[in-house]
Amino acid sequence: MAYDKPLPTPSPLTKPFYDGAKEGKLLLPRCEDCNRVHWYPRYICPFCHSTNISWIESSGEGRIHTFAVQHRAFGGWAKEVPFVTAYIDLNEGDRMVTVLRGVDATDPSSIKIGSKVKVEFEEASEAIHLPFWRVMEG
Amino acid sequence: MGVSKAAAIVGAAESNEIGYPEAPKTSLELHIEAIKNVSDQTGIPISAIDGVFSAGMSSEIAEHLGLHPKYIDTTSVGGCSFEIHVHHALLAIYAGVIDVALVTHGQNGWSARRIGAGGGGGYGGGGAASPSVQMSSPYGFSGAPSNYSHAMVRHNYLYGSTPEDFAHVAVVTRDWATLNPRAVMFSEETHEFGGPITLDTVNNARIISWPLTMLHCCLVTDHGGAVLVARPEIARSLKTNPVWIAGAGENMSHSNMLEMEDFTATSAFSSSRTAYQMAGLGPEDMELALLYDSFTITPALTAEMVGLAPRGKGHLLWKEGHAAPGGRLPINTNGGGLSFNHSGMYGMQLLVEAYRQLSGTAEDGINGIEGKQTNARTCIVNGTGGSLSTTGTLVLVSDD
Repeated sequence: MAYDKPLPTPSPLTKPFYDGAKEGKLLLPRCEDCNRVHWYPRYICPFCHSTNISWIESSGEGRIHTFAVQHRAFGGWAKEVPFVTAYIDLNEGDRMVTVLRGVDATDPSSIKIGSKVKVEFEEASEAIHLPFWRVMEG
Repeated sequence: MGVSKAAAIVGAAESNEIGYPEAPKTSLELHIEAIKNVSDQTGIPISAIDGVFSAGMSSEIAEHLGLHPKYIDTTSVGGCSFEIHVHHALLAIYAGVIDVALVTHGQNGWSARRIGAGGGGGYGGGGAASPSVQMSSPYGFSGAPSNYSHAMVRHNYLYGSTPEDFAHVAVVTRDWATLNPRAVMFSEETHEFGGPITLDTVNNARIISWPLTMLHCCLVTDHGGAVLVARPEIARSLKTNPVWIAGAGENMSHSNMLEMEDFTATSAFSSSRTAYQMAGLGPEDMELALLYDSFTITPALTAEMVGLAPRGKGHLLWKEGHAAPGGRLPINTNGGGLSFNHSGMYGMQLLVEAYRQLSGTAEDGINGIEGKQTNARTCIVNGTGGSLSTTGTLVLVSDD
């Protein structure tokens, strides 16, 4: 079945990210001058304002910072309610937003802030593979 | 003379209809009705307005009114835009650029759904190709509730609060609405689900974005409102009473919630400190608080940020009854965005209520209704825009 949820509109700034995602790699922008990782991609480092930014491959691991269970959604997502959205603290620093895989949306008490999660990619279109995060066992 | 009290709010009025109008309204129509009403209320002719402040529509409004303003501000950073407009108007008057500022709002949150027209103004965010939008738009978020819920979960985790604790905010705010006949949720006559509610009603309402049920979320209505801000010589010459702008401040912590470092802290900490410092007053001096309540989490977090409650304990102001009618610190006396009116941006409703409570010259008699009027002579107003993103704080005081 065709992917029927919103797709991002890639730009030259973010192209390396989508290229990496197609190969199953989570690429993150890191400032060459202050060495800090930032998310989302930028034209300038938000920490030291250097424009000397390159991409690094992430470990693809992180922890749940906070989450919520969406019972109302639009478009393709409406068919999947309830589902769990979450903000993920990346091991390399800064934070991503996602829909969690491998959790029971009908039992929010079973989902724990601080749990370890691992990234996986889903093919939304030929050009765009999107990162989602799954709670790791144990 | 310093900037504190260099200008006053001299009038505040609403459009002829608010809430769910019989016939659909346009945003511009709501603006113009409120502007006409505030001109009539104060006796200031529209032609005397030399500064126009609105969330995104200032040039259209000025042209519609045939004005050629000397100061044009169309700052649109969400629901707090109007507190920020008052801040900017104060500075423009203090600098001697203008004499009379119009701050105006019109938003057909309700009617737009019926006539298929835009709400007019509001928090735009980036375009589809902006990198923050790219990295958040694929993940099923459906507007403000789906974001704010994450903040409540984080508050619960850090401070041991519960969603049920925040349900008290909804119940107490509804109690205030039952004292305000203009509130959408005033009674069963004004809305099929109007009138008093209980904790069970809130807890058992339909879940929108867990842990937020529908009654943790604000209304979607129409509203128009306008206030006039004027320099002291003009303010003292009118039939209405001035409410002095003793302090004002604004700040932002992020635009996209991806960049919200602490989900339980907003920039109201900074904007309120700026405002208190300008006013020479502190949180202990505030007799009334009007705190933007898009969701139950919003005013509770804000109370913590502006120094009315310790960190992690904002919700106790409602749970222990302090914020309720008869309590020591009335909060959101109009019934709030939760039960009075919320058109998408709620900052103007805060300004109108602040003027009503502090001026004693409400244009529609609401202040005279027993149980509604407070005796407050000081008030903190805090608007919150975006996804707990941007804040504007005002410290307002009654005339001596």
